[in-house]
Amino acid sequence: MSKEINRLHPVSAIITSVKALKSMILPIAIIIISNGFNFSLNFRSEHFFETILLFGVWGVAALLALIGGIIKWRTFVYWFEDGELRVTYGLFVKKKRYIPFERIQSLNYNEGVFHRIFGLVKVQVETAGSKGGKPEVELTAIRKAAADVIELEMRHAKSEAVQQQDQAQVIEEAVSTPMIYHMSMRDLLVLATTSGGIGVVLSGLVAVASQFSDIIPYETVFHELADFVKIGAFLVALTVMVVLIVAWIVSVIITLINYYDYTVRIEEDKLIITKGLLEKKRITLPLNRIQAIRIVENPLRQLTGFATVVVESAGGNGEDGNDKKITLFPLIKKPDCMQTLEQLFPDMNWHPTFIRSPKRARPFFYRIDFIWLVPIIGACSYFFYPYGLLSLLLIPLKILLGIWQHKTAGYQIDGKQLAMQYRVFSRITLIMEKKRIQSIESTQSYFQKRKNVMSIKATVMSGATGTTGSVSSLEQRDAETILTWYEHS
Amino acid sequence: MRAQPIHQISRKGLTVWRFYGVIQTLVLLIVAGLVSYGTYYFEWPSFIFFIAGAVVVLSAILSIFIFPKIRWERWRYEVREHEIEVQHGLFVVKRTLIPMVRVQHVDTTQGPILKKYDLGNISISTAATVHTIPALVMDEADVLRARISDLARVAEDDV
Repeated sequence: MSKEINRLHPVSAIITSVKALKSMILPIAIIIISNGFNFSLNFRSEHFFETILLFGVWGVAALLALIGGIIKWRTFVYWFEDGELRVTYGLFVKKKRYIPFERIQSLNYNEGVFHRIFGLVKVQVETAGSKGGKPEVELTAIRKAAADVIELEMRHAKSEAVQQQDQAQVIEEAVSTPMIYHMSMRDLLVLATTSGGIGVVLSGLVAVASQFSDIIPYETVFHELADFVKIGAFLVALTVMVVLIVAWIVSVIITLINYYDYTVRIEEDKLIITKGLLEKKRITLPLNRIQAIRIVENPLRQLTGFATVVVESAGGNGEDGNDKKITLFPLIKKPDCMQTLEQLFPDMNWHPTFIRSPKRARPFFYRIDFIWLVPIIGACSYFFYPYGLLSLLLIPLKILLGIWQHKTAGYQIDGKQLAMQYRVFSRITLIMEKKRIQSIESTQSYFQKRKNVMSIKATVMSGATGTTGSVSSLEQRDAETILTWYEHS
Repeated sequence: MRAQPIHQISRKGLTVWRFYGVIQTLVLLIVAGLVSYGTYYFEWPSFIFFIAGAVVVLSAILSIFIFPKIRWERWRYEVREHEIEVQHGLFVVKRTLIPMVRVQHVDTTQGPILKKYDLGNISISTAATVHTIPALVMDEADVLRARISDLARVAEDDV
């Protein structure tokens, strides 16, 4: 085992400082804007002190960030010893962290724009104990070759622990990694155009607009607007359209950049997901941590035969922060999806035939909603008299949605696996193994009892908490079958 | 039709819940008093008096007499060798199955009111969920906790 001391690449100093500075930009921008750009370096100006104070504080903070970055880079060292990854850093307070290779759950690679210029990579080392989605160790920037060394060392240590394996063979294994899914340009475009990203962009626009509220001369705008409205509602509609289209295009571009070259590979017992155009991301996910598979089809995509596949996984892994729902296939044709899943998890049944909710249970899917619908309709009709009556349309809509939900509700037990299907709007198919289910709950209201129907909820571990799948109003006999199946595990 | 879990929680639990109902009603009474005072002082419409009164009376009837009784009668649990089954609910009857292999740890907690009646709550945690059996006689809770953690230790499984 090498006892070489490794350092981060000098660029990491810049990356660390830029990261610190980035969080300061918004407050500074807000202060500058709210001051209305009343800055002056003229000693006699009344704004002189404000200017000095603001830029002085900001300058010091920026300097500190830079120094902090340099210190972190200068003091950060890592090496491999006794089958452990050892890291020390800190100037005054020396921090040391030793992680045994067997405990490492995943190595995530990330390449930002800075990284790509210099051929570097950010490595996040995660163990099962990672708290709050934070990686145990983060190597801000190292050469790609150095990152490969870590992986090799890790494999070496692991295989040594299990059996004295030939190192050459280990390296060979590392090279051949079969690709199981690659997102085609067509799928990528469909994903980008149908994703809900537009809402995010719109709310972003609103937020930006409200930031500038101080400098936009609203009165002038208002007068202009009055003229504008006179010209005609047509123009207003046109502007709204243009704004929406621009927002949509931006969201499409963002999705394209984020999901570009989306590839899933399988390596030994790990899934490896790579994606991204500007910022390349690589996520590893041990297969044995997968708790359940969720296939989500929103109505539009269900119609066109597309689905999204989400993996529920336990422990401290994930794309961003606490979100442990890792998307396995962002968008995939339904038949391809089933085929690929079959390859991945051959033990499971990917073509479940569902036992549906009985016909007499149908009213339970919409009746309860009248409780909140009726007051809303009443209020709308009363306060906006003629047009408010349109809210009556909510009732048939809700009934139709309820019927749809009823048609979707179903379950299937196949040996050691439970499949549930249900929808709110999107159809969700949740497939989980018995040994992964944390608990099962049945619920039955007074009215359901009279009709002999029962709802079932099953919870699996996901991230730090859990994910619950629920099928409403199954035949009571069926619900009890599930409970009995779950007993005596 | 599945049989109900066999054990009921302590009769004293019902007393404790009624006590909670009394506290809740007292808090509401204070709020209602303030509102009534405001109504009198600012000369708001007088139907507010009636609403405030009705809310207090309703809360008293429901949260002291009716709800604790229904809840207590519903509450059942059973600790078997392989799983724990819990049944509870006021309007909706919920039954939960927790396999022993999934149990991560068991806690007992006891607040001042529960302590007065020598009762305790027992919480069973799995990796993803927490299930609480309320108002058990403290000795019983201790025995149960020891038993569950004993049974849970037998089988080990990942996550």
